[in-house]
Amino acid sequence: MAEVKKSVESDNAKDILTKIENKSLKIESLIKQYKFIEAIKTALEGYPPRDERCKSANWIGVHKALMAIKDVEGMLRSLDPQYYDILMKYIYRGLSTGNRTTCDQCLKIHEKLTEKAGFGCILRSLADTVNTV
Amino acid sequence: MASTLRLYLTCIRNTLEAAMCLQNFPCQEVERHNKPEVELKTSPELLLNPVLICRNEAEKCLIETSINSIRISLKVKQADELENILAKKFLRFLSMRAEAFQVLRRKPVQGYDISFLITNYHCEELQKQKLIDFIVQFMEDIDKEISELKMSVSTRGRLVATEFLKQF
Repeated sequence: MAEVKKSVESDNAKDILTKIENKSLKIESLIKQYKFIEAIKTALEGYPPRDERCKSANWIGVHKALMAIKDVEGMLRSLDPQYYDILMKYIYRGLSTGNRTTCDQCLKIHEKLTEKAGFGCILRSLADTVNTV
Repeated sequence: MASTLRLYLTCIRNTLEAAMCLQNFPCQEVERHNKPEVELKTSPELLLNPVLICRNEAEKCLIETSINSIRISLKVKQADELENILAKKFLRFLSMRAEAFQVLRRKPVQGYDISFLITNYHCEELQKQKLIDFIVQFMEDIDKEISELKMSVSTRGRLVATEFLKQF
């Protein structure tokens, strides 16, 4: 029974991986067209996946979109408030990478996002142990 | 350079403001015991996600929170061998006098240079804002202290060498 469940899960994971790859390609094309805000919205949409590989694949797409942003204020102004929590989770994942350029960008976005969304956003990203990114 | 430091400290300050909401919570396993849950990590429902904030490859800050305690571990910048030794000695000096600091941990967490452990009792006796100010100020001052120590070591070395070589 457990074996059947595992094979079903890995099929699901493959589906999710293909979906994430399509999303990545879409994000890249949006970035090339200078549509940074749409790129970020596409990246943040969808439920964060459960599987570790899917999470890493999803993170790569979000990372590309985050690094392409130059105007942080404008981006946050046009982003829906429902995306703030998930964006905060991705920012903390970016901060944990240790890469200098990623961390610089993530620190900038973190400051502006905290001003906009408040401490509740930070606490929700800390407290949510179920839907981690 | 200075702006990344400011952003790094702001990020840590904001995260601590949000994470430092501690309350008294008696131990679930043992009667009449009260332990800092972040150190023991026995019950996952009492722990929040640990957060790692890196400024670059060398400097980082790990913030682990639980229901009644928060542990903050820092890794300070060490550019060369001399700074490495100075930082190690200086922070060991501070850690050994942890009683006087109250919130300092005697041994840093593995992989970091110094750790703080703040419990709900500290939050009751001391002001939360002041605690956060203390930690951020500590991070600013540590870098200055280590540069000062390095400068005084090189100055002394130069003086000693000059005096010694005068006889030749």
